[in-house]
Parts: sequence; C-alpha cells; structure tokens
Amino acid sequence: MNLDWSVVWNHRDELLHGALLTVLLTVLTMLVAVPAGIVLALMRLSNSKALAAASHWFVEFFRNLPLILVVYWAFYVMPVLLHIEFSAFTTGLVALCLNVSAYNAETFRAGINSIRKGQMEAAVAIGMSRWQAMKQIIVPQAWRRVLPVLASTWVSLFKDTSLVSVIAVGELAHVALQIRSQSFRVLEMLTAMAVIYWLMGYPQAKLVDWIQKRFEVKE
Amino acid sequence: MDFDFSPLLESWQYLLGGLGITLLLSALTALASLVLGTALGLGRVYGPGWLRVPIVFYIDTQRAIPVLVVLVWFYFAVPILTGINFHPFWAALMALTLHIAAYVAEIVRAGIESIRPGQVRAALALGMSRAQIVRKVVLPQALVRMLPAFGSILSITIKDTAIATVIAVPELMKRAETLAGQSYRPIEIFSVVAVIYFIILFPGTRLIDALYKRVAHLGRS
Amino acid sequence: MTSARTGNGARKGSESAPVVVYDKVRKLYGDFVALDGIDVQVHKGEVMCLIGPSGSGKSTLLRCTNALETLDGGRVLIDGVALPTDERDARKVRQKMGMVFQNFELFPHKSALDNVAIGPITVLGMSEDKARERAMTLLEKVGLAAKANNFPSGLSGGQQQRVAIARALAMEPEVMLFDEPTSALDPETIGEVLNVMKRLADEGMTMVVVTHEMTFARRVANWVVVFDHGKVVEQGPPEQIFEAPHAERTRDFLSHLGWNG
Repeated sequence: MNLDWSVVWNHRDELLHGALLTVLLTVLTMLVAVPAGIVLALMRLSNSKALAAASHWFVEFFRNLPLILVVYWAFYVMPVLLHIEFSAFTTGLVALCLNVSAYNAETFRAGINSIRKGQMEAAVAIGMSRWQAMKQIIVPQAWRRVLPVLASTWVSLFKDTSLVSVIAVGELAHVALQIRSQSFRVLEMLTAMAVIYWLMGYPQAKLVDWIQKRFEVKE
Repeated sequence: MDFDFSPLLESWQYLLGGLGITLLLSALTALASLVLGTALGLGRVYGPGWLRVPIVFYIDTQRAIPVLVVLVWFYFAVPILTGINFHPFWAALMALTLHIAAYVAEIVRAGIESIRPGQVRAALALGMSRAQIVRKVVLPQALVRMLPAFGSILSITIKDTAIATVIAVPELMKRAETLAGQSYRPIEIFSVVAVIYFIILFPGTRLIDALYKRVAHLGRS
Repeated sequence: MTSARTGNGARKGSESAPVVVYDKVRKLYGDFVALDGIDVQVHKGEVMCLIGPSGSGKSTLLRCTNALETLDGGRVLIDGVALPTDERDARKVRQKMGMVFQNFELFPHKSALDNVAIGPITVLGMSEDKARERAMTLLEKVGLAAKANNFPSGLSGGQQQRVAIARALAMEPEVMLFDEPTSALDPETIGEVLNVMKRLADEGMTMVVVTHEMTFARRVANWVVVFDHGKVVEQGPPEQIFEAPHAERTRDFLSHLGWNG
C-alpha cells in the first residue's frame, strides 16, 4: 500500500471550487426553501380546504421519497415537461428545493401549532383578524421554536448536496470522485473528501447544538 | 409526450427483486443500528469519561459527513486498508449501520435526559440501585418517548438505502437506473419507482404515530 | 353593599333594552350538552356574576358571547342584533366586548405598554403615539404605569392580569367579559385584581364575570346566575342567591363551598 497524498494538494483548487459550490447550493436552496416552507405551512393552516390539501400532499410526497430519486427524476422529467434544457446545477437545485421546502413546511407548521391556543383567542378577542393575529402574535413567537430545527435542516441539506453529484454537478463529492477516477488515488481522495466535509460539517453541527441550547423553550 | 410503460411490465420481476433487496437492507440496517446506537447512547450517558469522549467524537463526525461519503469510503477505501473485499450489499450494510447508529445514539441520549431527575430520586428513596433504576424506571419511560424518533429513523434508513446505488448495490434505485438506461424510458420508470417508494414510506410514519398515541401515556411523568 | 335594585325596586339597568340577550342558547361538544337552553339578559351598567360547579357551562356561555364558540341552538343578541356567523362581521362585534382570560394570555414578546396598545393600533388603525398615550392612561388606571416597559415574564400574575384588563379596556368596549380572572392567581394577588374590577363596576361598566370568588359576587354583583350541568338553576340579586336561595341546588353548591353568609 503506497500512498501519495500529493494528489490532494495538487488538485486543491478544484477541491476548493467544489467545496464552494457545495456551500452555494446550500445557501441558494435555503433562500428558496424557507419562504416556500412558510407559504406551504400557512396554506396548510388556512381555512381553504383546497389549499390545505394541496400543501398537505406536496409535503407528504416529498418527505416520503429518497432525495436521490428526486434528483434523477428531475433530471429526466424537467426538460421533457418544460421543454427547456436545464443545466445540471439548476436541476440539482430544483430537486433540493422541492425536498427541503417540504421539510420546512412541517417545521413551520409544528412551530405555529406549538403556540398556545389562548394566544390566538386573546388576539381575536380584541378584534384582530386571524391573519393579523398570525402575523403579529403567533409567527413572531413561533420563530424561537423554529430556529433550532431550521439549523438542523441546514446541516442535513449541506450533506445532501453530495447527492447531486450523480448528475454531474461539480460540487465537492463529484469533484473528489472525478479526481479519484483520473488519478487512481482511491484511498487518498476518498479520505480527503471525507476530511474536507468533516472540516466544514463539524463546526456546523456544533453550531446547531449551541443554537438548540440557546433557544431551548421551557414551558 | 408519449408514454410507454411496457418496459416496466416486462421487467416487473427485476424491479420487485430490487425492492426485496431494499427492504432487506433497510431491515438489517435498522436492526443493527438500533442495537449499536443504543449501546453508544447508553455509553454516552452512563459511561466513564474515557468512553464518552470517543463516542461523542464519533457521533459528531457522523453528523458532519454525508452518507454518500461514508458509503463510498467503506466500499472503495476499506478494501485497500484491510485487503478484504466486501460484496456491495455488506459494505452498504456496514456503512449505513455505522452512520445511522450515531443518530440513534443521539435519540437515546435525548430520551434518557428527558426523564425528570425527580423520578430517579423517588426510585433512590425506595432503595433501588443505579442499575435497577436505569432498567426499570428510566429506560421504559424513555423508550416510549423515543418511539416517534425511531419511526423517522426507519424512514430515513429506507431512503438512505437508495444512495447505495452509487456502490452498485442491486436495490430498487439501482435497478431502476439500469432499466431506465436499457429502455430509454427514464420518466416512466422513475415515476413508477417513486410511487413504489412512496407506498412503502408513507404508511410507516402514520403507523408509528398511531402506535405512539396509544402508548404515550406510559412515558409521561 | 350594592344592590340590584334601584330606589323603586327595579333591576339595575332595566329602564333600557338589555345589552346582551341569551335566548334558549344551546351548545354541544359531540354528545356532551354543555349548554341546555340558557335564557339570561344582561342590562346596561349591570355586574352579572356566573357561578356554579366546574363544567357547568359558565365559561362556555361567556365564550359564546364574543363568538369564540359557535352556537348549536338559540341566539345571542348584542344590542338587539344576533351574533353574526361570518368571521369578518363577528370581528366588529368583538370590538364592542373586552375579554379577560384565566391565563391572562398577554403577548409574551411585547412589553406591557405594547400589549395594551396593540389593539388600537392594529384593529382601530390608531397612530402609534395616540395608542401608546391611551395605553399609558389605562396602565395608570390599573396602577401599573411604572411597569409599562416590563415584559410579561417580568410581571407577577396579578400584575399580568391587570395589564390584561387594561388591554381589553383599550378597545373601549361596551361589555367586559371575565373568565375566572383570579383562578390562576396566588392568594396575595387576587385582591389587587378584584379591586380593579370593583372600580370598573363603580364607574358603570357592564360586566359578565365567571368566578369562584363568592365574596366578590356577594359584594359587587347586581345579578347572580347559578349554573349546573348546562342549565340555569336560579338567577336573582345577590341577597336572594346568597341569603335566601330558592333552589335546592343553589343551597347545595354554596354549602359545598363552605359559604356561611
């Protein structure tokens, strides 16, 4: 077993680029999936049966499918359905957004529902509409409960970006695996990939722990 | 847009075989990670310092790296290190177990820590030993509280087996890919496979929720 | 001690039309009959106390008054007009009534001042400055001007409830509804809340109070309604209910409470 770790150093630019793309995918997905999650949650909680059902089924559908399948499915279906050629990056992004929006919808719904019924009643008793009560009283309180879960979802998303490598999006996993194939330095590249993910992921996991402690809700 | 589902009708046994592998891999992984994860969780809460530190490090590491990375590393790198070649199925089983056990450990820890210290004090006052308290007072209550979280672990396990496709485990996802490649009908194939996954995953969480509602009172103190 | 009767023996406020009329009100929860045909009238300026065992329907009736609960039979008339079923119209009616909850239900993410001001700002469209001014006046009225910038977590139960009263008053309601306002309070703080309520009564506010505080009912109420199992067992002036009750069940209820008059 002769190891040559220089292969990692020699390809550091590509690896860095891959890592940055991983981060970019995470950030862009969250930018879309957080508002989308709020909208889906409000739809689910609205008085309209149609909106609530639509939101419910969207969420159940995407929470009960493997993400890797959604990635493949998006890759083949989107060009046919929408008659445009999307880049692999966009396709991967769409798949990630669909998936994470569904999880966020549940997070926001649970957060809103966790606020005591009496708060809504008190707001309504002084004459507020349900919408006003949601905006001014319920949602501001729900944020505290939602934040730790969003943080944890963020870390999961960060790891899940590795799955879009299967449709050749140039994030970290894809880049590392490519270099492995070209250089035949299997152990070195796979270990380097794991270590780079670890270096990025470990602080994030610890940050999530801190957020959860800080925003712990004691009733 | 014309659809042709005939490849599916011709190769349904092939896909069914893949489903079987998926379910088998999921079941074995769930079981193994439950056992390993519980051991790790208990070690984390009740173990001495020299045991706790590496366990915490291990758990945090698994939380930091993607399943894909663990799978690939296990299948390709471990043979280089150890000289043993694993069949993809066993490599996937080991990798998934090691990864998911970390999450199980965290659930166990959270469940145990959620039991009020007053319960332990009451048991001590009765003269129970620490070991008896853990076995008879803490764990039974904690187990009930952990039920919903275990349910979601099962769901995650099944979804993660689909990632084993990248190391060519012949489970459902891999077979779907193969079939799609051969028949040039990816949309039909992946859509049907999506429905299959949905059917096996969706009732699972409902069942756990219903079960939990019936036994939840046993965990309330 | 106040009396239900004015000088010529009539019930207080009965010269004008009643403010709230409960007409054969029925409310069901599944198979459980919470309210079984309630006929009660609330007059202007009257303090009405609803008493009775837990689960007898008193709070349910109160919550039907401002449409927090829907009716399964009968009507509730506010100023002669039946309670609307449409949410938007119901909202207008709710502005005429103030409600104080057993659990105070102050908004924890807002200061005492902002809790009182939020109604006028959001619902009445008042400017923030005017609303805060009104809020300050009301906080002074309940004796908590010094705590205007405190958050609910920094206030005692009694203080929170007084802020809740001020919050309800900020909407300038015609009727104040109190749902067991002191049941969740420590004994030391009950008095400060009851004092505020008494002062409101002296100023002529129409009040419907669900309470277990019999001394308050005896001293401040103009009219007492006794509930049991969803029905009105007896109603009348406090002298009648507490000293010479007509109904057996009223006597039972009061003796269970250890009421010796």
